[in-house]
Amino acid sequence: MNITACMEKNVVSVHESVSIKDAAKIFVKKHIGLLPVVDDEKKPIGIVSIGDLLALELPGFVSFLSDVDFVHDFGAVENTRPPLKVLNKSVKTIMKPAFTIETDCGLLLAYALMLQHNLQYLPVVSKTKKLVGIVSRVDVGAKILSTWQKAKK
Amino acid sequence: MISTIVSSVLFLGCLALILSEKIHRTITAIAGAALMVFIGKILGFYSESGALEAIDFNTLGLLFGMMILIAMLEPTGFFQYLAVQAARASKGSPVRLFVLLGTITTVLSMFIDNVTTVVLIAPVTILISQIIGISAMPFLVAEALLSNTGGVATLIGDPPNVLIGSAANLSFNDFLIYSFPIVIFVWAGALILLRYLFRKELSKKPKSIKAIMRLNPSESLNQPKDARRILIVLGGAIFFFFIHHTLHISPAVVALSAAAIALVWVQPDVHEMFKRIEWSVLVFFAGLFVMVGGLEHAGVMDLIVSVFVQFSDIDPLLFGVGMIWVVAALSAIVDNVPITIALIPVIKGLGENGLDISPLWWALAFGAGFGGNGTIIGASANIIVATLSEKTSTPITSKIWNRRGLPVMLLTCLISSILYAIFFRWM
Repeated sequence: MNITACMEKNVVSVHESVSIKDAAKIFVKKHIGLLPVVDDEKKPIGIVSIGDLLALELPGFVSFLSDVDFVHDFGAVENTRPPLKVLNKSVKTIMKPAFTIETDCGLLLAYALMLQHNLQYLPVVSKTKKLVGIVSRVDVGAKILSTWQKAKK
Repeated sequence: MISTIVSSVLFLGCLALILSEKIHRTITAIAGAALMVFIGKILGFYSESGALEAIDFNTLGLLFGMMILIAMLEPTGFFQYLAVQAARASKGSPVRLFVLLGTITTVLSMFIDNVTTVVLIAPVTILISQIIGISAMPFLVAEALLSNTGGVATLIGDPPNVLIGSAANLSFNDFLIYSFPIVIFVWAGALILLRYLFRKELSKKPKSIKAIMRLNPSESLNQPKDARRILIVLGGAIFFFFIHHTLHISPAVVALSAAAIALVWVQPDVHEMFKRIEWSVLVFFAGLFVMVGGLEHAGVMDLIVSVFVQFSDIDPLLFGVGMIWVVAALSAIVDNVPITIALIPVIKGLGENGLDISPLWWALAFGAGFGGNGTIIGASANIIVATLSEKTSTPITSKIWNRRGLPVMLLTCLISSILYAIFFRWM
């Protein structure tokens, strides 16, 4: 069984020229965690996760401190929004390099890759490197676990 | 003659490289040291044994011992705890918070090196100022400036002081008698000036005072048991610093013994703890010692001393005050450690030529300590707060520093010069 058995074929992606603000709108509307960024030929050139967008609002001190457990109220930080200047930039400016797998990739290998690269989602590409689907850890994990029921003694 | 020229060119080249920041200063120092020994061997002015003798292990031991103690204290969250307490005590008044955080930073920097103080206090400062909804910039600038200032007060507060104390055989108490009282006045002057320079920012009304009252100090202290143990050892070390001269033990032995006791008592994850030791600083020092040792052996220092001796008719008070300002100006541009290491043999040489050099050591300490406040690159603490501030909405630029740090440097040098002149005959 390969990755096509569990991938979402109806994959939402954005063109590299789309603004961060418009990408946020897609995240809200589609309720998804990752947006592959594609060029004119639908080839993925990067990825933008919901976390990459939230990082624009998250205060810098969170990364400097080992924990913020002693903070019980974020006060003024709770209501800061990224400036419009930032939101109007294209997704290309904040996207991360795309890590993709091809359609013939096995399920367990796909899971191992996600684990090692700390990815929640993996875009799937065709032999011609075009975006054809996307899988989440839950998609892959549930598909693998489903085979356990058929396991022989 | 050729050896004086070659060794001077090498040293000045290394200083220029350190200033340019093209290569990490530690790499420059170790490469420069290796070259100095190599050239010294060829030209016959320097040797391996000479290079080893040039390294001041007393300085390295004291720095290393203190680094171990602080590396153990760091993960306990003690510094965070102090800042959270200050935040609550300020009840949300920016001015009160400014004074409290500034004072805590100064006191910490008297016992801990400035960089570490700032590294530990600045992140939680950003947190506090952002959750109450005011700019972190005034607090961060003040913390760097005040830690540089406070460090001058004690033998262990600042690397130049460690170097001077070791070279001139000055005790912890000597610093408490001669430097500490002057630093108190200088510090008060700096704090008042900073309060004035930041009057606009500090008069802004905080948006959310409630948030800092909900910070939980006890939760900010991660390992209270370890923190208590290390603080007891640190307190014991400070007690022994007071009497090290009477007991005829060097400050390095006090610091290293304290580190050993704390290690035995707390038994931290040694691997993790040693990762927090600033090895690059220790290697930087060792490299500079070897380079300056080469300069001495090549006769460069004698040459400089003979030039200075010609000015020995100048009033010694004027000479000392001049030294404060020249060293301060140099320290504002280059790291104050190489300057101090290079000037120590010069001052010693002046002493051998019959000058009363004991006041000059204090002039060197004040100049090296306060000079770093002048520019954004003048001291490592400045660079650290500037870097951290880049992740806030009000980054610290050199323009901001020139308007806030430079006046503080000028005022601190002025106050210390005046007090230096008043107390000159007792120094």
